[in-house]
Amino acid sequence: MDPVSTATASPSGLLLAGSVAAIAASLWLLLPKASDTVASRRLGFLLGAVALVGFAATGRSLGSVGEDAVFLTVAGIAVISGLATIVTRSPVYSAIWFAMTLAGVSGVLLVLGAQFLGVATIVVYAGAILVMFLFVLMLAQPSGMAPYDRVSNEPMLAAAAGAVLLGLLTLSIGRLSAAEPPACCRMPSRAQALAAAAAPADGAAAKDDESTTLIAPAMAGGDTGDANEVAHLGAELFGRHLFAVEVAGVLLLVALVGAIAVVSRGEATETDHRREGR
Amino acid sequence: MNLLPSAATLAALVKIGLLVGGLMTAAAYLVLLERWIAAWVQDRRGPNRVGIPLTKVKLFGLGQPLADGLKIILKEDFTPSGVDRVLYNAAPLVILAASLAIFAAIPFGSVLPPLGIPGLPDPVPFLVAPGLDVGVLWVFALSSIAVYGVLLGGWASNNKYGFLGGLRSSAQLVAYEIPLGLGLLGVVLAAGSLRLDTIMNAQAETGVWYAFAQPLGFIVFMVASFAEAARLPFDLPEAEQELVGGYHTEYSGIKLLLFLVAEFLHMITAAFLIVILFLGGWHLWGVTGSSQEIGWIQALLRFGILSGKILGVIVFFMLVRWSWPRFRFDQLMNLAWKVMLPLGLVNLVTVAAVEEFRPQLVAALGPGFAGAVAIALPWIACLVGWLVAGVFTPSGTDNTPILTHDPLDIEREMAEHERLERAPHDVSPTLAGSR
Repeated sequence: MDPVSTATASPSGLLLAGSVAAIAASLWLLLPKASDTVASRRLGFLLGAVALVGFAATGRSLGSVGEDAVFLTVAGIAVISGLATIVTRSPVYSAIWFAMTLAGVSGVLLVLGAQFLGVATIVVYAGAILVMFLFVLMLAQPSGMAPYDRVSNEPMLAAAAGAVLLGLLTLSIGRLSAAEPPACCRMPSRAQALAAAAAPADGAAAKDDESTTLIAPAMAGGDTGDANEVAHLGAELFGRHLFAVEVAGVLLLVALVGAIAVVSRGEATETDHRREGR
Repeated sequence: MNLLPSAATLAALVKIGLLVGGLMTAAAYLVLLERWIAAWVQDRRGPNRVGIPLTKVKLFGLGQPLADGLKIILKEDFTPSGVDRVLYNAAPLVILAASLAIFAAIPFGSVLPPLGIPGLPDPVPFLVAPGLDVGVLWVFALSSIAVYGVLLGGWASNNKYGFLGGLRSSAQLVAYEIPLGLGLLGVVLAAGSLRLDTIMNAQAETGVWYAFAQPLGFIVFMVASFAEAARLPFDLPEAEQELVGGYHTEYSGIKLLLFLVAEFLHMITAAFLIVILFLGGWHLWGVTGSSQEIGWIQALLRFGILSGKILGVIVFFMLVRWSWPRFRFDQLMNLAWKVMLPLGLVNLVTVAAVEEFRPQLVAALGPGFAGAVAIALPWIACLVGWLVAGVFTPSGTDNTPILTHDPLDIEREMAEHERLERAPHDVSPTLAGSR
C-alpha cells in the first residue's frame, strides 16, 4: 500500500489523475468569465461529464445494484448541482442549485442510514436559511448588477485549487475505505446489518458467536436499521456532549442579541432625547 | 443477484398507489364539500346539478369534481411574456411533489392483521415508510420545501402581485414554523418518540389524548397549522381582494390546478397532524382497544375512526374560513412572535416539568390522583397564559395614523388650508405629482 505507487502506476490512480485534470479544465471553462462562448461552455459540460464518470469509476460498490443506483443518483444530484451553484450567473438560480445540493446530500445521508442528520439538513439549511437567502436575492433585482459582479474572481486558480483538493480527498478517502480496518472498529455493511437485524435468532448466532457480538455494539451505536436512532443521538448529544451543546446555544443567543442591538441602533429612543437635554 | 423487488418494496408501492389515489380523490371531493359548506354558510344552494355524465341523474351534484377537473385541464395553459420559464414551470411541480411526499411518513390507520406473506413485517402498518424514525421531522422538512414552490412561482411569473404573494407567504410560513414546532415538541416530549404511529399508540394506551393533557400546545399548534396551510384567517399569500390571486395570479390551466391541489393537500396534512398528535389518532374510548394484535373488523374500524376525525377537522377548517376576517400582516406577525411563541414556550416548560416529576407524583399521590394533577397543571398553565397574553400583549389592531396635532382643531386646519392656497409652490413634490 505504497501511496506513490497507488497514485501513479495503477489504472485507478491514472483514472483519478485524469478526472482531476478534466474537472479542473471543465470548471475553468464553465466559471462565468467575460470571454465565454457557446463552444467553450459546451466543451466544459462535456469535460465535466467525463470527469464525473471518472470519479464514479474510482469508487467501490456498496453491495447491491439497487443501493448503488440510489446512491449514485443522489450523489450525482449533489455534485452536479454543487457545480451548477458556482457556474450559474444568476444569483437566484445559484441559490436554487444550492438547495438541490442540500437535497442530494440529505439523500446521501439517508442512504447511509443517518436519518436524523439527513432530515435536519433539509429542515435547517434548505427550509430556513436558504429561503431567507432567496428572499433577499429576489428583492435585489438581478439586472442591476455591475459587470464585475457577474464574472468570477480568478477562475483559473480557483478551478485548479478546487480540483487538486478534490483529487487529494478522493485519493485519501478511497485508500482509507479500501484498507482493512482493525478488528475493534469493524462496521458491518448495510446489507449485513439488515440481515442480522432481520434474523437475530437463527443463522447468525448458531454459525458464529463472535461475529454477532461484533455486530451488536455497532447496531446499538446508531448504525443502519436502528429503531431508536434519534433516542441514541439525543442521549449522546445531551449526555457526553452537553457542554458543547450549551456553548453553541449561548453563542447563538449572543448572535441574536447582537443582531437586535445592531438593528435597533438606527432609531433614537426616549433615553437618547433625555440625554441630549431636551 | 436478485433484481426482483422484495415483498416489502411491493407493499410500499401498493401503499403509495392507494395513498396517492385516495388523496387525489379526497382533494377533489373536499373541493365539492368546501363549496357546499360555503353555500350553506351563505344561504345558497351550492353545486347540485352535475351527476352521472350523459344521463339526467343528478345525485346531489356528486359529479361536480369531474366536471371541475375536466374544465380546468381543458383551459388554455397560458404563459405570460417576461416570465422566467424554467422556474415558472418548475414551481407547481415542486409544491405538489413536496406536499405528496409528506405522506410517506404519515400513518393513515393503525395496522392490518397479519397477512402471512413472507418478507413482510407482521402486522402490516398503515404507513408507507415504517422504518423512518424521524417521521415528524420528515413532515417538517418537506413542508419547508413546499415554500420554494410558492416563492419561486411568485417570483418567476414577473408580476408584482405574484411577487408580493410569494414574499408574504414565505415570511408567514417561516414565522409560523416556530410555534408549530413548539406545539409539537410538547407531544414529542410526552410520547418520547418522533414517530407518528408511536405517538398515536401512546395516546391509545393511556386513553388521554394530548389535546386534554396539553391544551395550550393544542391551541398553539392548531393556530400555527392554520397559518402553515395558508387558510383563512391566514390566507394573506393569496388575498384575493389585495393581490388578485397572490403567487398564482399568472398561472392558468393545469399548472393552476397543481397549485390548488397542493394547497388542499396542505390542509389535509394539517388535519392529519392535528388528529394524530392531539386528538388520539385512531383511538376512541370504548370502541378501539390499544392492542397491536387485532382482527380485520378492528383494523377497518380504526381506519374509519381516523378518517372520520380528519374529516371533522377539515370541516372545522372550512367553517373557520367563512367565520373570521383576514389578519393584517403586522397583526399576523404580532400573533406569531408575541403571542404564540411565548405560549408555546409556556406549554413546553409545563409539559417538561410534568413529565420530569411524574414518577415522584405517582409515588406521593398514587396513580389516579397523580394523573389528575398531571392533567390539571397544564390546564392551569393554559388559563394563566391565555389571560396574560390577552391582557398584556399589544393587540396591534390600531392602524389610525399618528397625528401630531388635534384633528378637531378647526382654526389650525383653516390656517393650514389658507397657507396652502396662498403659496401653491410650497406643496411637497409628491402632492404636486399626484395632482
